[in-house]
Amino acid sequence: MVNLTIDGKEVTVSKTATIYEAACEAGVHIPVLCYAKKLLPYGACRICLVEVEQMKGRLIPSCTTPVTEGMVVTTTSDEIVKVRKTVLEFLLVNHVVDCPVCDKGGECDLQDLSYEYEVVTNRFEGEKFDLPTDEVNPLIERNMNRCVLCGKCVRVCDEIVGYGSYSFINRGFETKIATAFDRGLNCEFCGQCVSMCPVGAILPRPFKFKARPWQLKEVDSVCGYCGNGCTITLGTKDKKVETIRFNDKTGVNDGNLCIRGRFGYSYVNSDERLTKPLIRKDGELVEASWDEALAAAVEGLKQAGSAAGVISGARLTNEELFLLKNLAAAIGTDNLDNSGGECYKGVTEGLQQTLGLQASTATFPQVENCDAVLSIRSDFYETHPVFGMVVNQAVRRNNAKLSVIADKRGKFTKLPNARTLLHKPGLEVNILNAMARVLLDEGLAKTERLNGVEELKGALADYAPETVAATTGVDAEAIKVAARELAAAENAAILLAYGLPYTAASKELGIAAANLALLTGIAGRPGSGLYLCGEKSNSQGAIDLGILPGAEGMGVQQMLTAATENQLKALYVVGEDMLSSYPDRDAVEQALSKVPFLVVQDIFMSPTAQKAHVVLPAASFAEKNGTVTNAERRLQQLRSAIPSPGEARTDFAILQGLLTGFGQDAAAAPADVFGQLCAATDQYRGIDLEMIGPQGYVWGGDILTPITRNLVPVAGTQPVDAEYQLLVGSSLYHSGTVSTHAKGPQAVVAEAYIEFGREDAKALNIQEGDLVKLRTDAGEIQAKAKVDRRLPQGVLFAPYHFGALKLNKLYRGQAAIPVQVG
Amino acid sequence: MFKEFAKGLSITLKHLLPGNRTTVDYPKQKLEMSPRFRGLHRLVPDQHREKCVACYLCPTVCPAKCITVESAENEKGEKYPKVYEIDLLRCIFCGYCVEACPVEAIEMTGAYELANFKREDFNFDKERLLKN
Ligand code: SF4
Ligand code: SF4
Ligand code: SF4
Ligand code: SF4
Ligand code: SF4
Ligand code: FES
Repeated sequence: MVNLTIDGKEVTVSKTATIYEAACEAGVHIPVLCYAKKLLPYGACRICLVEVEQMKGRLIPSCTTPVTEGMVVTTTSDEIVKVRKTVLEFLLVNHVVDCPVCDKGGECDLQDLSYEYEVVTNRFEGEKFDLPTDEVNPLIERNMNRCVLCGKCVRVCDEIVGYGSYSFINRGFETKIATAFDRGLNCEFCGQCVSMCPVGAILPRPFKFKARPWQLKEVDSVCGYCGNGCTITLGTKDKKVETIRFNDKTGVNDGNLCIRGRFGYSYVNSDERLTKPLIRKDGELVEASWDEALAAAVEGLKQAGSAAGVISGARLTNEELFLLKNLAAAIGTDNLDNSGGECYKGVTEGLQQTLGLQASTATFPQVENCDAVLSIRSDFYETHPVFGMVVNQAVRRNNAKLSVIADKRGKFTKLPNARTLLHKPGLEVNILNAMARVLLDEGLAKTERLNGVEELKGALADYAPETVAATTGVDAEAIKVAARELAAAENAAILLAYGLPYTAASKELGIAAANLALLTGIAGRPGSGLYLCGEKSNSQGAIDLGILPGAEGMGVQQMLTAATENQLKALYVVGEDMLSSYPDRDAVEQALSKVPFLVVQDIFMSPTAQKAHVVLPAASFAEKNGTVTNAERRLQQLRSAIPSPGEARTDFAILQGLLTGFGQDAAAAPADVFGQLCAATDQYRGIDLEMIGPQGYVWGGDILTPITRNLVPVAGTQPVDAEYQLLVGSSLYHSGTVSTHAKGPQAVVAEAYIEFGREDAKALNIQEGDLVKLRTDAGEIQAKAKVDRRLPQGVLFAPYHFGALKLNKLYRGQAAIPVQVG
Repeated sequence: MFKEFAKGLSITLKHLLPGNRTTVDYPKQKLEMSPRFRGLHRLVPDQHREKCVACYLCPTVCPAKCITVESAENEKGEKYPKVYEIDLLRCIFCGYCVEACPVEAIEMTGAYELANFKREDFNFDKERLLKN
């Protein structure tokens, strides 16, 4: 700790702090332009100059100067004010003063500082910038005539996002920010640069001329897309969500978001939203009153009784899931489930068998301080982009050694010093087994307190790194080094994502990852962690609350089979477009056609809803109150920002209505239900809504200690033997099927595609944009080709978000689908 | 005492003579307003459009909250007021809107004969304000 005096105030701060940070702590205001909390100090703008007693004779930039013992700092004096004013005058020489038409007006740092320092005239004269602007881009508008060259956009895109779109080009007065070859933006469209720009040089295009910042009402809520659970602050005006506001004070994401969070909100304002309940009469879905629709739903479900099934999406709030579970009990059925491919089994069965837990063992921010990270299967930049940024921090700021077990290259592969264990599709378990074997063979494993060491050793006989290398195509040495790094690291993390488009071997992967976490001691060690990250915003909540088949009950797959065999009498589907997204479309289609009574509750008229007998219009995340639990067990609050369109109701209200129909009292408000669900759920016991503060509340604490430490042998698989194999997955720009209704993501990826590696494209003579067909015994699909460098030879990729592609005709939960091209 | 009285009365009488009137025969005769008079608003037209760029400063400053602006983007990509409306019944003619405007797009004219028969007639939309 260091002691210093700022404007006569004594402060004690850590020795790594800068003068600016010390002043913030002391409550002394120093103006800044180029400083940002999450970026490395830069010192470009010189607005933050202060005087330091010990360094008399010149002014010191406070944002880059570290504190020293006994420093005496003055932050305002006539001279300082004069210099700051001059700095502003310089900035305004070429700056087009566009304030009346600039959407930053009202929250622009340059505007505010000019006002604060009363810069009303300029002693210097110069030509105003007249650079071309980018108004074409559907998401990010750039007007470099307004730029103050603070470099925040350049830095955030490089340091945090790890993409590196921008750099300074030219010199002197000509200096400007540009993309490579000064072309249009073609990036991840995460909008971090938008949120960082202190002026109106980079702005969100969808918000153009929509409102002034001071007219917006701000509501902090949680992103409704993925399990990362980022805080998003909705800016609403006239009962419409107009934009997402920058907020780095609340939540785990430091104000970072991905394209889905920042630009994917627009579906809530969509005209296609369902606004009235529908009932099927004479084969047609016709509008009905809520009373009629609820009565019909209750009647149908009541008659089915124990032969009814309930399937829910994992984006409902905990409160809603709790009511749903009560409803299933009221119907008298054990047939309850939350995900089509049962991809959660890595957690519910894998981790349960090994660690006795059903959740990640640590929290996201800890990963920033890790020395080694092992990412399995998913490129987190695609599934949980903001977690990807956290890993990027670990790699860049903490020199973490990143190993990626993947069947295709991704952004993780490109991070500095990342080691990619690029394998043939579907063989992750083999590699994890080999890594476990290395640890055991080399005596690196921390085997004390572990059960089943000998059995595991025995089971790993066939998984010598060299053998596995031969089957998987990964370098044996790489496997060894990755294992050694993980064992040697003081803080290490193992990451595994699960979701609908990659359901294969969920349980086995969970177990293999947990084995590794036990052998390296990562599970339960402070600073380290095993992360199993769900695809949807409340995947973890659905597991915690047990939206899973009961003792006698059927899971989704069994329910579908039962329906096809006329065993299932009714099905209630909440927030899932099964037809578009569940594996094996034909089976789903048959089941939905056969089931005598189908209730679908959704916000859009999805293909699944079109098959329903009763359609109940529900509310989006922006219209709800309640809690969700993210992939690191963090409970956070959703807050309603706008009313639902038409007669649509929140899932909570609908479930209340149904429960009432079953003669049950349903608590009046989500807050009451929260109390009930906490009392009924072990992990949540004792949690109070009050405890869920701005950073949420992590149940079980930052580190979850394993209850059991069982090593469980799992068998790997054999590679698929086919010339071309299709991988199914998630695209960075989309999440689930909902984002295909959002203008932002649609503006970047508007339709399905089939991705080819360069070599394959060349061999098959396929150009970007060509219409290509893929065939299997189960059927064929057709989409435009995309040619990229990510895929190894013989491997193709298709995103699963677009119902129109009917990808799930081919995809039945396999790790890789052998296909014929053409 | 009488002298003072007569003197006073003579002043009064002098004022009664023609040419000494301070009032006018309204409505037959109307006064020329001072340029600083704050009467009915006028939106200033520009070559092809209104000068107003929909910056929202006037609705923000207006103490009576009687100005409605809705900004939008025109074909040229410029910001313009898709809606500009003043509810004159609520206006207190303070002139703050004029003062706030950064592009001198709104003025107050000398027009003060604003009485009307219907409530709606006091709603001055963009077209009407541009015509004034
Ligand atoms: S949107 Fe994201 S990736 Fe694109 S330039 Fe901005 S910060 Fe970089
Ligand atoms: S565009 Fe914005 S963030 Fe980037 S350097 Fe210019 S002012 Fe700074
Ligand atoms: S989709 Fe996931 S990573 Fe992206 S903003 Fe939402 S919660 Fe964050
Ligand atoms: S004159 Fe005053 S009250 Fe009337 S519109 Fe202008 S600001 Fe509002
Ligand atoms: S202040 Fe002027 S430019 Fe701004 S909205 Fe009002 S009239 Fe238009
Ligand atoms: S804020 Fe310190 S130099 Fe810019």
